[in-house]
Amino acid sequence: MQPLLILIPFITILLLNILRPEIARRAAFRVALVISVLQMIAVFFLHRSFATMYSGPLLSVLQFNITTDYLSALMLFSIALILFVALIVAGQVIKGRQELFNFVNLSLIALAGMNGTVMSHDIFSLYVFIEVTSVTSFIMIVFNQNIRAFEGAFKYIMLSALATIFMLTAIALVVILTGDTDFTVIKAALSGPVNSGILKSAIVIFLSGFFIKAGLIPFHGWLPDAYVSAPSPVSVLLAGIITKTVGVYTLIRVVTGVFGFSPVINNTLLFIGAFSVVLAAIAALNQRDFKRMLAYSSISQVGYIILGVGAGTPLGIAGAAFHLFNHAIFKSLLFVNSSAVEEQTGSRSMDNLYGIAQKMPLTATTSVVASLSAAGVPPLAGFWSKIMIIVALWMSGHYGFCLVAIFTGILTLAYFLSLQRNIFSGKLPDSLKNIKEVGFVFAIPEVLLAAIIIGCGIFYPWILKSLILPLGAALGG
Amino acid sequence: MRAYHFSTFIVLTVAGFAFLITLYCTAFLRDKDYANRFYAYLLISLALVNGALLADNLVLLLFFWEGLLITLFAMIAQGNKGAFKTATKAFIIVGIADLCMMLGIALTGHLAGTLAISSISLKTGSLASVAFILLMIGAIAKGGAMPFHSWIPDAAIDAPLPFMGLFPAALEKLLGIYFLTRISLDMFQLNAHSRLSVLLMAIGGITIILAVMMALVQKDYKKLLSYHAISQVGYMVLGIGTAVPAGIVGGLFHMLNNALYKSCLFLTGGAVENKTGTTKLEDLGGLGRKMPVTFGCFIITALAISGVPPFNGFFSKELVYAGALERGLIFYLMALAGSFFTAASFLKLGHAAFLGKLNPKNKDVKEVAIVMLMPMVIIACVCVLFGVYNYFPINKLIQPVLGQARMEGHNFGGFHTDMKLTIITVLVLLAAFLNHLFGVRRKGSGLKALDHIRYSPVLGHVYDKAEKRLFDPYEWGVRFFTVLAVFLSAIDRMVDWVYDVFSVKLAYSASGLLQRMRGTSYVVYIAWSLVGMLFIFCIAMAKG
Repeated sequence: MQPLLILIPFITILLLNILRPEIARRAAFRVALVISVLQMIAVFFLHRSFATMYSGPLLSVLQFNITTDYLSALMLFSIALILFVALIVAGQVIKGRQELFNFVNLSLIALAGMNGTVMSHDIFSLYVFIEVTSVTSFIMIVFNQNIRAFEGAFKYIMLSALATIFMLTAIALVVILTGDTDFTVIKAALSGPVNSGILKSAIVIFLSGFFIKAGLIPFHGWLPDAYVSAPSPVSVLLAGIITKTVGVYTLIRVVTGVFGFSPVINNTLLFIGAFSVVLAAIAALNQRDFKRMLAYSSISQVGYIILGVGAGTPLGIAGAAFHLFNHAIFKSLLFVNSSAVEEQTGSRSMDNLYGIAQKMPLTATTSVVASLSAAGVPPLAGFWSKIMIIVALWMSGHYGFCLVAIFTGILTLAYFLSLQRNIFSGKLPDSLKNIKEVGFVFAIPEVLLAAIIIGCGIFYPWILKSLILPLGAALGG
Repeated sequence: MRAYHFSTFIVLTVAGFAFLITLYCTAFLRDKDYANRFYAYLLISLALVNGALLADNLVLLLFFWEGLLITLFAMIAQGNKGAFKTATKAFIIVGIADLCMMLGIALTGHLAGTLAISSISLKTGSLASVAFILLMIGAIAKGGAMPFHSWIPDAAIDAPLPFMGLFPAALEKLLGIYFLTRISLDMFQLNAHSRLSVLLMAIGGITIILAVMMALVQKDYKKLLSYHAISQVGYMVLGIGTAVPAGIVGGLFHMLNNALYKSCLFLTGGAVENKTGTTKLEDLGGLGRKMPVTFGCFIITALAISGVPPFNGFFSKELVYAGALERGLIFYLMALAGSFFTAASFLKLGHAAFLGKLNPKNKDVKEVAIVMLMPMVIIACVCVLFGVYNYFPINKLIQPVLGQARMEGHNFGGFHTDMKLTIITVLVLLAAFLNHLFGVRRKGSGLKALDHIRYSPVLGHVYDKAEKRLFDPYEWGVRFFTVLAVFLSAIDRMVDWVYDVFSVKLAYSASGLLQRMRGTSYVVYIAWSLVGMLFIFCIAMAKG
């Protein structure tokens, strides 16, 4: 079952490109949508059967083992959902048929790459799938082939290269120590007597690689440029899920599945998490560009996730995983909103936009919902995941970090409120008198994501019991 | 709820007053646009007063008690332009006292383990004394004793007159003194040897003297009466504070009497205001011939309040004197001085308002309507009745309140008072009359009959300050809180600045700094990443 999630996108790409171009181009977009929906349905209804390990050579070269547990299932669902949203946005924003076809192809590769990342069970295939995803995203960033996008993509490539070096080095060190790349084998080997200096170096280098991929401060330099210069659907995909999968999910997986919690890892995560939470929130305050502010907000929110993991308790991991999911939802929604605004007004700058809530009420409302969820206002989903992280930090005795997490909530609210006030409230200038609300198709992802935010907030107890807590318990031990 | 002898007799009295005042109002409020509201508030107040009197649970009592605060505010606010300010003043003063009472109730409940009034019986110890004082503050503030009095003279000017006749003059006195009696007699076993008793007597004595001294120099009919309303509370507090049978009976009897003649006096004031349109004494004069019935009622009640035999005020004051003398000469002298000044000020009032030259403006003044006269006449008659036939109020109404045990075999009905005391009282009253004559001869008018006291060397100075409200605790409070408010608002500005200006600037400059530190070149980014990794190394090595 699980390998299908990787195989289907690849086979689809092959088919689309082998078939006659006219038919393929017409069908490609719909096929991709169907695949993403199917993945959502499959994960939603079959996640119990997922929670068993599949072993068997898929590609014998890569010694490919697959694991799926609750965390993977959550990620697979998010991946499909965000891909679906990104595809709809792309259908609206990308005009040319050939361009759309290219985008669909790229997004299917990214899908396969992310699915592989999420399900791989050894560090080397993990690395391979990360690279697959990353390389796809480089190309997607420069999709419009303008100069700024090239610049952003170039920075991303450079930093990614650094991350690649780090990861490969760390993998090499781990192989030296344990002689294997499979998670369970490594974990078993590491619990025996090993050279702690090499192990620590491996951990630090590995974590640094993930930090670069996730864009945490001070490894974040590439992130705002890449997010901002990318076309809207790519921003949605990139911010919503790609960096979260290749950076954050992998970090959680490797920390819990390979190295296990130790003071070194916990402290590293807590410090870097706290840095990112606070500094990115402060940096976000001053931004005038819709997407750039969202980019900084992304760093800050990822900081929260890392803080949750750093608590090192089942509750902390559960909170981190839930926040990862929530972040994917609300940040994608905000990027969808920003692309809706850009599509309708031709601008993203807060200096040009005022009071467009009158003309675009749906976009404004969903944007407020997403912002409040991000700022952790009850009863929206973001509140619950943040409170879990905060409680986990407090219970594990990290009072200082707990306070940092709480007070940064104020900053989060501050920059999101200033964003909302600047763009959506206030007096509509004459230059924007003729803008319209987005069409029906654009409204689908907005409403869908906002509904998920509200729904997850209201039905939180159910989600907590059936998904989040088992997830934390499974990973936390 | 518990209806027993004491509370039922006060409820009955309250009902009587409410009836008479309402009767009076039908004429007085005929043309006032706030009449309907006033009646509504009056009924609510009545319900609350009854509730407070009948409550047998301290919390329930507090509920009704505090409810009165609201109607008090509402009724005062019905008056003229300044009424709102006065209402606020009353609200704050009485509210603070009620707050004390609330604390007292909490403390009492804690000490006694129950909130049922009838089952509380505490010995006065250190903590119980605090509870007693807190409750006492609530009670005497309701009664209007010093230092919780200062809203009453203001209200006299600003509030509707029937309100003054009913509330500060009658109902609130009844309620306050009722509660004071309950706490001193039932809930706390106040005895003649405790310091609390001395404290109560001191409050009573000081209230008598200071309020009546202020009454002396007032030039307004209603305001003069209002100071007497305060002063008379002093007698009641003094009487109950003595904690000896004569004093307590006197105090309670005085409560009843005062309610009678004080409300009647306010009603005569209302009658005068109704017809002449003013209560300023300099615009009045010679009304006795125009309004004979009103004048008659005034004379009777003024004699009663001055304590002239055989009116009711005489008997109650004699009992208070007897009680005070039993406890200490100083309190007796205070009470006696109060009596002197009371008489003097009423001589002045009567002279200035009803005798002397008729003001030309008041040529067409006629007697007021019958419905306004009736309450006055009835109350005046009761004043006489309670004096001549004091057996009924004392033996039937008041003495049972104390019970046989406390009465210690005394019986104060009839004309039982000490002859010596009576003679002294009469002498004092004569002195007051002579003093009046002396004043009139010097200044030539009733209004200025007391100017020799007003402008006497030391007192004159004090009066000047008092008229500037330098002695009003409320004014002190207002001044203190004004300064405090300015101070706090400065702090608030500072805090605002920290939030609104400083933190924003800090955030933006920090934001800009981060922006610059991030740089724009990938080389810088890589450098930062390496720095970050180094940092993690440091953590790892340090903790390892």
